[in-house]
Amino acid sequence: MTRQLTDRPAAVAEAGPALRRRPKWSGRTRRDFFVFLALALPNLVLIGVFTYLPLINNIYYSTLDWTLGSASATVVGLDNYVTFFTSADAAKVLGTTAVFTLVTVGGSMVLGLLIALALNSKVRGTTFARSAVFAPYVLSGVGVGLVWLFIFDPGYGVLAWVLRGLGQQSPQWINDPQLSLVMVIIVYVWKNLGYCAVVYLAGLQSLPQDVMEAASLDGADGFRRFLSMSVPLLSPTTFFLLITTMLSSLQAFDLIRIMTPLGNGTSTLIYEAYLQAFGAFNRAGYSASISVVLFAILLIITVLQLRFVERKVHYS
Amino acid sequence: MGMNLDRRHFLGLAGAGAGAAALAACGGPSTGGTTPASEAAEIDFSGVKPAASIDFWTSHPGKSQDVEKSIIAKFHAKFPDIKVNLVTAGANYEEIAQKFQTSQAAKEALPGVVVLSDVWWFRYFTNGNIIPLDGLVKQLDIKVDDFQKSLVADYQYDDKQWALPYGRSTPLFYYNKDHFKAAGLPDRAPKTWQEFAEWAPKLKASSGAQYAYIYPALAGYAGWTLQNNLWGWGGSWSNEWTINCDSAESVEALQWAQDSIYKDGWAGVSSKEAADDFAAGITSSTISSTGSLLGVLKSAKFNVGVGFLPGGPKVESGVCPTGGAGLGIPSGVSKEVQLAAGTFLKFMTEPENTAEFSAATGYMPTRVSADMTSVLAKTPQIKTAMDQLAATKVQDNARVFLPGADQEMAKAAAKILTQQGDVKATMTALKSTLEGIYTKDVKPKLKS
Repeated sequence: MTRQLTDRPAAVAEAGPALRRRPKWSGRTRRDFFVFLALALPNLVLIGVFTYLPLINNIYYSTLDWTLGSASATVVGLDNYVTFFTSADAAKVLGTTAVFTLVTVGGSMVLGLLIALALNSKVRGTTFARSAVFAPYVLSGVGVGLVWLFIFDPGYGVLAWVLRGLGQQSPQWINDPQLSLVMVIIVYVWKNLGYCAVVYLAGLQSLPQDVMEAASLDGADGFRRFLSMSVPLLSPTTFFLLITTMLSSLQAFDLIRIMTPLGNGTSTLIYEAYLQAFGAFNRAGYSASISVVLFAILLIITVLQLRFVERKVHYS
Repeated sequence: MGMNLDRRHFLGLAGAGAGAAALAACGGPSTGGTTPASEAAEIDFSGVKPAASIDFWTSHPGKSQDVEKSIIAKFHAKFPDIKVNLVTAGANYEEIAQKFQTSQAAKEALPGVVVLSDVWWFRYFTNGNIIPLDGLVKQLDIKVDDFQKSLVADYQYDDKQWALPYGRSTPLFYYNKDHFKAAGLPDRAPKTWQEFAEWAPKLKASSGAQYAYIYPALAGYAGWTLQNNLWGWGGSWSNEWTINCDSAESVEALQWAQDSIYKDGWAGVSSKEAADDFAAGITSSTISSTGSLLGVLKSAKFNVGVGFLPGGPKVESGVCPTGGAGLGIPSGVSKEVQLAAGTFLKFMTEPENTAEFSAATGYMPTRVSADMTSVLAKTPQIKTAMDQLAATKVQDNARVFLPGADQEMAKAAAKILTQQGDVKATMTALKSTLEGIYTKDVKPKLKS
């Protein structure tokens, strides 16, 4: 392609409009393009039908006053967005989303890195420890939620039993909205830090050992080497984790649904969208507008991360 | 391949695809007018032949899967030309409602008969999702007069019958007889909450249980069980369509409940299921559905007593709400399916079948003529639930007719009972929320 465009004969450029038409693809280029289509088109069609079509549908529904289950709806333009952003719930939902996302992303990454550092040491039992740390990540969120609900139950949960042994009453983890959020965050971080640990471990194991040894010879102690060498060299891993865990946290659903079905104190954007349409209110149009807000936030965060944060990443 | 596909053609195709997607977005609900409620006109089924097969969507209330299978087997024996497919459409009323309403949106795969709870049927009515049963009642000679009056009245609106009672329950006062005996208390439920407040310190001191009384889990229909407290103090969630949950009486009722936890310290709030907490011995008493009765009797390792719900300082009796689920028929299926569904609905609610259902679950028999002799011989506690029916009241409109109201009531209750929130301020905020729901989601759909 490039060769065709740059090597265009001068005679063609100087000729009349008929001759100035874009040249036909060569047989080989066309063949390559068909191969590309054969390989990519099925996936593009699937993505189009199952991702972009629902996305467009959702944007359309967000302009309707539509009760789920009703055969008819009224076009209301941007009213649903105005209602959301002017309601008292908006600040609460956005605040919950921000707290949940920041704490779970920060918690998973920091704890994941610390665990990765521990797992990176050459002592017996690290293989088992790596599997044990990663296991919760692949477990079903529903199962994890149910087990942890039993642990947190203030009546007959394991935690309440331990606290009673210490002469303390169990906090109302499930009924108190603020504690519900803390409870869900703890479980979410527990479930997901294995992912961060494994990715960080891979990053740590690929650090250039000669550079680390040189720093060591120059007198840098372990903490200094970690802070001045490992952390900057791990920045591509950190950047990757930042994007993936943030997207994942913003879309967290199963644990919240199982542990706090009312969403009392744990209503993040995605859960609020679910509650509004399917929970009890059946406001399908309003729910769609919340989904669009979430989509916009995800898009903006991803673009900002790619545009600005990536500049800080140190690629060796 | 003779087609000359270059980048321009590809981009053209992509554009066409995007256009098709945009056009597809114009699917979904029609935007031609306002949402109609269910058509109240009587449907004429004369000359209609029942469909050969229908689906029955249920959440198996009260762990009723086995008894539902048993009744369906009897139906197949009596009506071999109609096959009923038992479908587990959710684990509770909310999940079954979610599936039913999503199917309405998808406009396909609707059942013949669906289990609908006290807080959902009215929404189906306002959305035009269910048919009035009056035509079927006439055609199939369904004895509506033989149903328990208060239960069948729950599904009447606009002079039509929109569902029939199925797994119907009321809250019941459960108490640990052993704890009551150890505390020197009479072997009965308290007549009023004031009487129980006198008993509670003795119970807590002698029983060793964490609580003398545990309020039902807030996620488990708090608006339903707290209805008892509100009525006992002369308050309510609403009076017809006027929301009055912030009245002095309602505030006083919930202030008393808050004090029982924080000031007096003898009550707690269940996190998941009060009946399970009670059966586990965590509390000496609680309020739970009659549908929990058999489960409690099976799992409790102590003598279980049941009684009427206590009254309050203003109203001593008639302070028990009805609840549970009924059976309805969707409007989006053919008349043939509706007729087959009506035949099955009639059979499911026959006196002998409601007695069998009651024996297996603890739910109340919905028919006056149901012979409960053998059931009561086996489980005499069901008699208390049956006797309490005479003292039940239809729930306040705000709880059963406003979409999402039950969840908002539960949130308000959580603030009052688990965060020691200001009762008056919380109920004033709840009033505003409920009024907003009524104005936006219900009022436009009601006939003026």
